[in-house]
Amino acid sequence: VNNRLRVLRAEHDWSQADLAGRAGVSRQTINAIETGKYDPSLPLAFKIARIFGQPIERIFAPDGEAPGQAPGEPAPIARPA
Amino acid sequence: MRATTTRESFCGDLTANDQRNMARYNGWLVAWMALWVGARFLVEARGEQLAGPLGWGVVALTLVPGALAVGTYVRFLREADELLRKIQLEALALAFGVGVLFMTSWRLVEKVGGPQLDVNDPVLVMYVVWVTAQWLGARRYR
Repeated sequence: VNNRLRVLRAEHDWSQADLAGRAGVSRQTINAIETGKYDPSLPLAFKIARIFGQPIERIFAPDGEAPGQAPGEPAPIARPA
Repeated sequence: MRATTTRESFCGDLTANDQRNMARYNGWLVAWMALWVGARFLVEARGEQLAGPLGWGVVALTLVPGALAVGTYVRFLREADELLRKIQLEALALAFGVGVLFMTSWRLVEKVGGPQLDVNDPVLVMYVVWVTAQWLGARRYR
């Protein structure tokens, strides 16, 4: 599962520990999700989505899809800054 | 900003709730071990006097903190941080599997002239594998 946790955390200026405290999990769990070593349970994914105030599909997406992308839609091309 | 109470441990990071549940489990585990050692000394010193219902009572007494340790571990596992629970379950599965393989294989070793297996040996093997697998599991997700 791909996710935008690291980006969203940076936007909120939160550390992994801050997000872990809000989600009621350990910092290790947040780190493992961000690095793709662990896929969160559905309740935890919904909780994280609620914390960031975004729909779950804007944060998490199946492998091969970017979060926020509609199913079957090609991944958006990154524009140069 | 909300303060975090996560604490690192050899078996993975523990939330505040995990720390409380782990402390309860460790407390009952230590109580069980202390009572078991005490009961063993008592049985060895006064085995003849403790024959019959009194002796069974002493043995049954040691089961009380032991059963509470098991119960608190199950509670710890149910309420654990989900990554910690995954690490624990994988470690338990590995320890159980290795323990069963060790026991069944050693019975064959005995048949071909190996030393007799003591009842404590598989327990020790399972415990060592369980602890090692927790440590390795925690390292994998760091």
